[in-house]
Amino acid sequence: MTMRIITIVGFVLAIGAMFVLEYLGRRPDSKVPTVGQWFGYLMRPRIGRLLVLLGWWWLGWHYFAR
Amino acid sequence: MATTEQVPERRRRPIRRRELPHWPPKGQHPVGYALAGVVLGAYAWILGGFAPFSVKSLIGVLIPGAVVAIIAYGWPPQRIPPPEKLDIAGVSYWTIVVAALFEWEASSWKDGSPSWHPSLTDLINPLLEPHAIKSVAVFLWLLTGWGLVRR
Repeated sequence: MTMRIITIVGFVLAIGAMFVLEYLGRRPDSKVPTVGQWFGYLMRPRIGRLLVLLGWWWLGWHYFAR
Repeated sequence: MATTEQVPERRRRPIRRRELPHWPPKGQHPVGYALAGVVLGAYAWILGGFAPFSVKSLIGVLIPGAVVAIIAYGWPPQRIPPPEKLDIAGVSYWTIVVAALFEWEASSWKDGSPSWHPSLTDLINPLLEPHAIKSVAVFLWLLTGWGLVRR
């Protein structure tokens, strides 16, 4: 197995784990927050809201304008 | 001399909320949602067709950013109430996964994204080359922006 494949598998595992956590978070009485709850919590203070929205915009700029 | 009782308790300042009618309106007609979807879809299709590193693509990304900023701070919609607290174990699972992703990406970035350890960007960019796929990605990005504004 080449290092490139290992790298891709690493990314797939990390992103796949996020989907698993989101699934777990949506089960009743789950201790795991959904990504929406997590962002909602982070966005309670004004600075958190600003940083999260900036991160969202940066992703768009990074992938669609560059 | 100030006593402990006189020191004001630090409180998280709530984001200023104006007394506005519910926005977007409750029970909006499905046609309204469909129309919004068509507008966003058309915008995504146009932006998805712009060449990377062009002024058009930059402006195309700046406009949604400006719109979201104006909505978030000038005309905030009814927000989904955030949880008062999160379970620390549940948050730690997310933190571990996100940290692993960032570490994997950072190790690639540090090495200059070689072919044997490419960055996530270099892996995703070829996937976004077809116009239709890039437009779908833009559409999802726009929906995410709207979702975040409501948080």
